[in-house]
Amino acid sequence: MAQSKKLNFMVVDDSKLDCFIAEKIIKNTGKCESIRSFLQARDALAFISSTPPDEHSHTILLVDIQMPVMNGFQFVEEFEKLPKEIIEKYTIYIISSSINETDLSKVHNYKSVKQFLNKPLTSNNLSVLLG
Amino acid sequence: MKTGEKIKILYIDDEQNNLNGFKATFRFDYSVLIAANTSQAYDYLRDHSDIAVVLCDQRMPDKTGVQFFEEMRRTYPNPVRMLITGYTDIESVIDSVNRGHIFRYIKKPWTDNDVKSAIEEGHKFFLTHSLLAAKNQELQSAYDELGKFAYSITHDVRGPLLSVIGGLELVKEMSDLTEIRELLEMMAESVRKLDEYIKNTHEYYKLKRGMVQFTEIDFHTLMADIAALFRIVSINENVEFIHSVEQNEPFHSDEISIKMILSNLLSNAFNYQKKNAADKKVVVNIVVKDNKVTISVTDNGIGIHPDHIDNIFTMFYRATSEETGSGLGLYNVKDALNKLGGNISVESELNKGTTFTVNIPGNTHGSK
Repeated sequence: MAQSKKLNFMVVDDSKLDCFIAEKIIKNTGKCESIRSFLQARDALAFISSTPPDEHSHTILLVDIQMPVMNGFQFVEEFEKLPKEIIEKYTIYIISSSINETDLSKVHNYKSVKQFLNKPLTSNNLSVLLG
Repeated sequence: MKTGEKIKILYIDDEQNNLNGFKATFRFDYSVLIAANTSQAYDYLRDHSDIAVVLCDQRMPDKTGVQFFEEMRRTYPNPVRMLITGYTDIESVIDSVNRGHIFRYIKKPWTDNDVKSAIEEGHKFFLTHSLLAAKNQELQSAYDELGKFAYSITHDVRGPLLSVIGGLELVKEMSDLTEIRELLEMMAESVRKLDEYIKNTHEYYKLKRGMVQFTEIDFHTLMADIAALFRIVSINENVEFIHSVEQNEPFHSDEISIKMILSNLLSNAFNYQKKNAADKKVVVNIVVKDNKVTISVTDNGIGIHPDHIDNIFTMFYRATSEETGSGLGLYNVKDALNKLGGNISVESELNKGTTFTVNIPGNTHGSK
């Protein structure tokens, strides 16, 4: 992704507070073109699959692990079944409070997941990831 | 084994006379099963899981007693094994102990008292062993639950804590007072969620470790107490709260458990309302009749999806992403009902509402 280009962000987390925090921090970076939060992974998936990929934009997707109904891993599994031209437009980061080894090692099993981030999201670790 | 029941024993011998003699001698003291060959013995072992002691003759046409025990032990490890033989060669004694793991070695001809004392001893061993096995199973399920707890703590405790930490970091960079207030309210919600988790955990352990105490319950008073707790949420959230009690006979049960059950069901009924609906309603009906209480809690809220309805009583299962839930509430309800000999059923339609119906039998022995 080009550094100069502005980025779209998407947050998938069942905690309203965590979504709020992420939105504020992301907006404060000044690199944010648009931001969307989803409290339910299913809604996020529905949005992604029904939105035609835009050639000129790229989206950073922050996904929580432990969510009721559809958890973060199930979300990623479904995401990876989407058409290639959609998948290419997203970079996924798993962000979780989990310190469970099984969860942490599972993250490496998914091709589309770039990195695991510890909660809470802070301006510092976000700017590291944005380079 | 229930007290007063006879100890069940199985005797295997290829000589019918021995079998008959054995049964005639011991049938008053024990429940005696006899088998003329090992395949018949296996049929008994399969159909009678409560056989405590198996006695077997060493010399049989198809196999030796030691061979039988060695083989039987793999499928039926619990019954205590005793070998009966007239041939007292040291080799077969060593063999039987080492390969058949036998409890006693009885020499032919036996005296009634020898056999009796062997059976009594063997039965004690069997009981201790069974008790140990049951305790082990209890321990295993306790460990499993502990594992679930440990995992849930990372999400249900660490999650809200980290959210609050994140909020505190963020607030340093904020200046808009309206936004700060919004953030503070969400942080307060996280802290309340934590408190809820701790209260539920406490309830869980109180239930697990505590004994139920049966007292006479006046449901009019009980309902009034609980209604007082939910009055504020009913007014604040604009939910109509209707409750009725019909009780014309004394009823004995554990009041603390029933209060816990009712307040959990009510919390759910109030929590899982449709956010912006105008006619939000929670209805409780309590009917005591024929020494049984039926409690129904009905709401016209979001309902439960059919995919999740089978799992709602499972520990740490949360069927919805809306509102807060510790995943312990209904599990605790079910656990308490098991202790009281009651049951719970649920009917729900998505976006229409949910009805939980609880039945609890009265404890006729009254307070103890």
